[in-house]
Amino acid sequence: MSEASRPRAWVALSQPLVCGGAVLLLCGAFFLAIGREPLSLLWLIAVSAFGDGYALSETLVKTAPILLCALATALPARVGLISVGAEGQLYFGALLGTGFVLMAFELPGYVLLPGMLVTAALAGAAWSAACAGLRAGLGVNETITTLLLNYVAALLVTWVVFGPWKDPLSQGWPATRDFPDAARLPTFFDSRVHLGLWLAIGGALALHVLMRRSRWGLELDVIRSNPRAAQGAGLNFGRHVMITMAIGGALAGIAGIIETSNIQGRLQSNISFGAGFSGFLVAWLARNDFLRIIPLSLLVGALLASGDGLQMLAGVPSSVSLVVQALLFVGVLLVNGWYASRRS
Amino acid sequence: MHVELRDIRKRFGAVVANDGASVTLEPGSVLALLGENGAGKSTLMKVLYGYDRADSGDILLDGRKVSIGSPRDAMGLGIGMVFQQFSLVPALTVRENLLLADPRTPWRLAGRRDALGRLAVLAPDIAPEVPVRRLSVGQMQMVELAKALNLDARVLILDEPTSVLTPEEAKRLWATIRALAGEGRSVVMITHKLEDVTACADRVAVMRAGRVVDQREARAASAEALTRLMMGEERPREPHVNPLAPEAPVRVRLRGIAARAEGGAIRKVDLELRRGEVLGIAGVSGNGQQVLADAVTGLLPLEDGQVEIDGRTAQAAGSPQPARPDTGYIPERPLANAIAPELDLETNLALKRIRDMPFFPPRETKAAARALLKRFDVRPADPALPAAALSGGNLQKLVSARELCADPAFVVACYPTMGLDVAAAAMIYERLFEHAARGASVLWISEDIDDLLRHSHRIAVMYKGRIAGQVETAAASRHQLGMLMAGEGAGEALAHV
Repeated sequence: MSEASRPRAWVALSQPLVCGGAVLLLCGAFFLAIGREPLSLLWLIAVSAFGDGYALSETLVKTAPILLCALATALPARVGLISVGAEGQLYFGALLGTGFVLMAFELPGYVLLPGMLVTAALAGAAWSAACAGLRAGLGVNETITTLLLNYVAALLVTWVVFGPWKDPLSQGWPATRDFPDAARLPTFFDSRVHLGLWLAIGGALALHVLMRRSRWGLELDVIRSNPRAAQGAGLNFGRHVMITMAIGGALAGIAGIIETSNIQGRLQSNISFGAGFSGFLVAWLARNDFLRIIPLSLLVGALLASGDGLQMLAGVPSSVSLVVQALLFVGVLLVNGWYASRRS
Repeated sequence: MHVELRDIRKRFGAVVANDGASVTLEPGSVLALLGENGAGKSTLMKVLYGYDRADSGDILLDGRKVSIGSPRDAMGLGIGMVFQQFSLVPALTVRENLLLADPRTPWRLAGRRDALGRLAVLAPDIAPEVPVRRLSVGQMQMVELAKALNLDARVLILDEPTSVLTPEEAKRLWATIRALAGEGRSVVMITHKLEDVTACADRVAVMRAGRVVDQREARAASAEALTRLMMGEERPREPHVNPLAPEAPVRVRLRGIAARAEGGAIRKVDLELRRGEVLGIAGVSGNGQQVLADAVTGLLPLEDGQVEIDGRTAQAAGSPQPARPDTGYIPERPLANAIAPELDLETNLALKRIRDMPFFPPRETKAAARALLKRFDVRPADPALPAAALSGGNLQKLVSARELCADPAFVVACYPTMGLDVAAAAMIYERLFEHAARGASVLWISEDIDDLLRHSHRIAVMYKGRIAGQVETAAASRHQLGMLMAGEGAGEALAHV
């Protein structure tokens, strides 16, 4: 027993280190390829993400939607589903949440704000539950449906901002009118960091406890491990598919409306910076563990936030940060694959 | 071709499959390679077929040492093998399957008559343009056999060929095997059934624990001697079934059950099980047995009919109720059907109770789980171990422990010993029959007529989703059951219902 567990413990320690090393090597090779000195550019990324109060607050602003979308991916994954629909749920939440704001524009904040959040959560949940229902009822692959509905949701948003909801005073700019201040979440530290971040972290912690301690977590574990055995134990696969997908969708929908009201201030076609997809990758990196999701969301948020700083300080296009994000995942994928092949 | 396997050793991880096994095959002769599950028969033949590579040992063809690294090498040397799991493409026709397997016909149009010629001789009743999925299991086996013969196999290995056949189909296969040997081929039949030996073998080699412990003329081998050779000294105790009390009342009623699933449909299944009765369900697999088991245990909704236990409705049409405490279900292959492999043994034992737990379940002490594991002889009896760490036999014991510990009135066991060795199977049977002796009604689905005849009180035969007939075991004959299984005895069987 102990002989068998010793190499496993060693693997558990060394694997993240090897992963980190591989990612740094890949990034270094990339920086050399674009003609930059690797170490100084890496240092600039760190400075642009954490260097001062402003940089840190921008990192946290990016982290919030990524974290929410990671939760939206990881929760369905607990029943063995692969949902890539956080991006679409985010857009649809933003869409209907905005609809509520436009209808209830004059109402006081204590009605407007909760109403907006609830509408967005329900919208995200419905968008996600549509795929869940197809999966539970007809066995339609949820990865395909969630992926395709991403485009539908984003295009619906584009349609309303170019068409019916376009602000007539915007002089042709495709966006709705600005949200009233009453529709904004409270912010902190005299920055753009908003309540959504604490909501996301609280959600991650709550889900962690629920998965570890509750009957619900146990039921999800059984279904994921063997759906047929779960059926024999009287656990309803379809119901848990609906519940996890709906909760996930609600979280992503909330991410969408907060991004719209607090960060952009109005609905326009590019509200997401790919937070839904970054969230998927974070959930995958964290292996759907709700505690690990928190620091990994911060890491990816920092990478994405560093883009603007890089453009200003180092004179490289901000999309370099997207390439670094991609290299992070490729590196981890390679190292994990190598460990897995060695094990077998 | 004269084939000699000499001192073959093969190990898979910690398991020694072949431990210095030696055997010879002679041209024009049928060798029965006899042994229990896990004795190493299949491995030894897979080494000859190049499917597994031996760790050490020699293969000699006509006295010449050869190296066989892959099935392709083996085919080149004239060695063919028909596996238990068929390698046919169900959507393609018989002809396409035969052409697919034949390297001499790279194009569909070429070699048409060649490919079909063999099959026409083996089984003239199989139409070449029929998709394979419409064939019966026996017919598929003939197609597999034709595939191997098309490659000019002079050594032919058949892995448990009669295990999936009805008695009538088996008889035909035995005749075919005799004819093939008559053409001068060496035929090896891997089997654990003594009747295969008496029916068509010239010689018999008995394997136990990775070695060939005996080779002799089949005529000179008595059933008793072969059994002793197969089992060795530690022959497990025969599971005991209590005689059924003549006045035992009916405890479980299946009334007009109808259900369907991917595996087929069942209609109008009416059965009554008395207190303490072990009712065997015989039939060639795929005649609705799995659907019946799933339907009466609430895994599959009933389309019609109901299940009554002690006079109360347990399952009714449209509202399946899985995990009832008065019903226990022991399926085949626990890892696929009844176990959450990543979770620990304690959780797996509690699986049926999860629904009734409070939202935040209290931490359970391991003592109760450990005691239950000990009682059902699950090894190791460590509640914290993940279920995936257990062997197949121990997993099946684990499932039995879970399903029987609540003392259900109705137990359904569907091929419960499939894939288990004799000792583990005997243990499962013993628990099951013990439970019946305490007053439960047991519905026991099996493909093994001999086991059913030996242990059940009554046998019902399923054919195409219906009960084709029922017989008291004491009055049943293999022939009669075989006829029912082949769907040819409905009229005769009615007399026994």
